[in-house]
Amino acid sequence: MGGSRVTCTGCSLLCDDIIIRSDGLYIDEVYGACLKGKERFDQVTGKNRILSPLIRKNGDFEKIKLEDALDKSLEIIKNSSRPLLYGFSTVSCQAQLKGIELTKLINGFIDSNSTICQGKVLNASKQTGMTLTTISEIINKTDLLIFWGANVAESIPRLLNKTLFSRGKFRMTGREIKTIIIIDPVKTASFGVMGVRDIALQIEPGKDIELIRILKEECCSPNSIPSKGIAGIDSDDLRRLLIQLTNAENGVIFIGQGVVGSSPSTALLQELLELVQMINAKQQKGRMAVMMVGGHYNMAGFDHVALSMTGKNGNLQFSGNQLIETSDTIISKINNNDFDCSIIVGTDPVSHLPWELSRKLISKPLILIDNKKSATSYVANIIIPSNITGIESGGLAYRLDHVPVELQKIVNPPNNILSDEEILSKLIEGLSSSQRG
Amino acid sequence: MEMLVNTVRMVDNDQLKEFSFGDDISLKENLAVCFLNPIDSKKLDITPNMNLKLSNEYGQVILKIEENKNIPVGTILLPVSIWANQITGIVEGQLIFKNIKVHAEVTEEIVLDIKDLLRIIKK
Repeated sequence: MGGSRVTCTGCSLLCDDIIIRSDGLYIDEVYGACLKGKERFDQVTGKNRILSPLIRKNGDFEKIKLEDALDKSLEIIKNSSRPLLYGFSTVSCQAQLKGIELTKLINGFIDSNSTICQGKVLNASKQTGMTLTTISEIINKTDLLIFWGANVAESIPRLLNKTLFSRGKFRMTGREIKTIIIIDPVKTASFGVMGVRDIALQIEPGKDIELIRILKEECCSPNSIPSKGIAGIDSDDLRRLLIQLTNAENGVIFIGQGVVGSSPSTALLQELLELVQMINAKQQKGRMAVMMVGGHYNMAGFDHVALSMTGKNGNLQFSGNQLIETSDTIISKINNNDFDCSIIVGTDPVSHLPWELSRKLISKPLILIDNKKSATSYVANIIIPSNITGIESGGLAYRLDHVPVELQKIVNPPNNILSDEEILSKLIEGLSSSQRG
Repeated sequence: MEMLVNTVRMVDNDQLKEFSFGDDISLKENLAVCFLNPIDSKKLDITPNMNLKLSNEYGQVILKIEENKNIPVGTILLPVSIWANQITGIVEGQLIFKNIKVHAEVTEEIVLDIKDLLRIIKK
């Protein structure tokens, strides 16, 4: 029983250096995975794994056959005129493609978790442009890493190993020439890796935009820094930050939820992206880029699949089997009760959304396609279990740096559970055959 | 006392881990919890076995209290969960998970478990 190298789908870093030992039936050992990665592999035998299709009857769940669960789901979909599809960030790109095909067929609305996460950065970049980079570029070239509102030590645990402590091809040195700057109101676990040359900036909550505006104003003249500092950051640290930003040979800003989820408007993100463009325009020798730190392993994938299929990265509304223009978002659709059933794939909106939206979502028939228990599974009307992509089925996923990575099947799923792609295909087939009939 | 809430993902208080491997008790133990600076804890006059009630225009939630000196004074951290989302809402069409204004007060009221919360949400 030899070891084989596989890709981990524990988070969006999609580490491709995990060694597992398996006989094809069970995963016996996992080497090189972080805590989140190990948990992902352990989910195969997790005690709360959903192994049978379930239907709610008189308030309680009953096990049913897959064919019956699909038929009942089709019944709900056929009786719906405004179906809503949401999730799709922990499934393969092939399943995302099928999700969009299904939405088109049933004239529904579809969006992914990206819309309340890194999709906001993509949307802001439509106004400003955006300089991206890849993990390989960071490993090989970067000398400045800025984590802005991103606690990567807990959210993407191996990101620091790969980027900060690595030794690149084009540099003779590693960690010793790399500077990290963390900008966060909370002294998170990520602060634990900081050395004497690094800069820890505990910014006052909600003052990020004030800091960015000062940096934009002063980015080429670090001699006129406000003497009192700004946003809780003193003038010495501000000066050090500016010097690093304007002198780094190859820098990257990791944008976390602390930035993405802190303001309703896109102004903060736009100003941050403008700052990066401004530095790049004025830099003589270096380059600054950004990287979005999304948590779910294929959140970036939905943006790519949707863009390639429709020209839009999210908020897809179909009518007459055609994509139509809409100003709606998943938030406005639920908030305005502009839906009459929902198909949730691989996510847990009841945990993720404000309770007022959850209340509206669960007031209509809800079909859940997922492999584990969640708050949404407590209140779904039908649950169709899916296998675990990247372990029990293969597919394509986009890493957080938007590089496509092929996922492998390692073991067979229990009870021959279908993949998300296969379940969605069966729903499409069922609808197509009834339309033909 | 008026404070700011930030919802965050934490390795030790992770809903995905609890839903995959835990039960309703461990879910409540690890997610229905808030972290605040000991200075705030003192200001709020928190005593053992008391909980914290957070309320704002969106709703209210009761949570177990844990002190952490790394959290800035005036800020409360909540792990992302159904409990945290009792006090989040929509601003200008967007969901806001950071810098949420809340009124914090000590209470003897009990922390609800997930089934009670879902029952209330359904109503």
